[in-house]
Amino acid sequence: MAAVIAREVRDQETVAVGTLSPIPAAGVLLASRRHAPRATVMIINHDDHWPFHNGSKEFYDFAQRGKIDLFFHSGGQIDQFGNLNVITIGQHDHPTIRLPGGAGSPMLYYLARRVILFRTEHSPRAFVERVDYVTSPGSSSPRVARSGGPRKVVTPLAVLAFNRESKRLELESVHPGISLAQVQGATGFPLGGPREAPTTPPPTEEDLAILRGPVRESVAKLYPVFARTAFLAA
Amino acid sequence: MPVPGHVGSDYETLRPEFKVIADPYSGKDVLLVPAIVPDVAFIHALQADTDGNLLVDEKEDDFLLAQASRVVVASTEEMVSPDLLRRAAYGLKLSAIHVTALVATPGGAHPTACRERYGIDAGHLTEYLGLAKSDETFRTYLQRYIFDLKDHGTYLAQVGLAALAA
Repeated sequence: MAAVIAREVRDQETVAVGTLSPIPAAGVLLASRRHAPRATVMIINHDDHWPFHNGSKEFYDFAQRGKIDLFFHSGGQIDQFGNLNVITIGQHDHPTIRLPGGAGSPMLYYLARRVILFRTEHSPRAFVERVDYVTSPGSSSPRVARSGGPRKVVTPLAVLAFNRESKRLELESVHPGISLAQVQGATGFPLGGPREAPTTPPPTEEDLAILRGPVRESVAKLYPVFARTAFLAA
Repeated sequence: MPVPGHVGSDYETLRPEFKVIADPYSGKDVLLVPAIVPDVAFIHALQADTDGNLLVDEKEDDFLLAQASRVVVASTEEMVSPDLLRRAAYGLKLSAIHVTALVATPGGAHPTACRERYGIDAGHLTEYLGLAKSDETFRTYLQRYIFDLKDHGTYLAQVGLAALAA
């Protein structure tokens, strides 16, 4: 997932990684050590990669000015329209699961130019037909000031792309060793897109060496447990 | 106050106090939210001086929280002279004008972290999360870490931070 995310980073861009996002952090750090050395990398509260000195306010103010090119987000539920739910699963007054809440999400999802969604669980309960609550909609009417939105979804099984014409998610590629049927079976809505989905290019040996070496070391400063458990030996 | 984004989300129905209006400048729809004004904010400072000025962590939101709240109760890891506080390299200086009360409390951020003093106590937080699941087990937590301990120094010793006790 980190290697796929790394491909979304373009050189010279301003890329921000929010809280609880170790996989995007690893992907962005890989990109900055490979094809995007001049990208401005922001990883929230990372001692080496956080340019702000006044809490989340300074970052949110910066983002509200439209200065983030690429951002990453997950969701308790993600639906076919690219809507995210991080509020509640079930009824709001009688939640099955109380999720953490939107925080900056319903602003960043509109104002970061491209948002890549990631979810480590690709299942019908994560990828639903319609979210129980819309924290952040995938698209908006022209009456709403919106300069950005979802572009892709990266999971352990596949990459989905957000079609900006139909305003729906469709299949872009299936990871090596995974079948189209497996992806469809794990997704709670019909996946549009090609019938014969291409295979996601696997990470190269160079990618893996960078991930397991310097990226792991840097990620450990913020996510020690993730760094200890999610990487194979260098 | 206006908040970018948000329009078209379920916050419009879940939070009836949020209003969508046409922005008089751009004509686009914009969401307005009332400012949050906490009655009391409790914050933990990295340092405080004898005039009540604070040095707060620049990666946290204490600086903003203190300015929003009616009453600000601060604890501090360490008391220093005004001159030393002025020369601090890291952190934000929060003027005493925002501070209602100040308590010198080394280890006061535990079980969360205090920068360059102590990290998050994951074991303690895990224990807390387990015991906080019901009122009955939560009473066990309160008994163990508050009622059964005679003072803050005893608490610090109990949680392995005895070195911080003055």
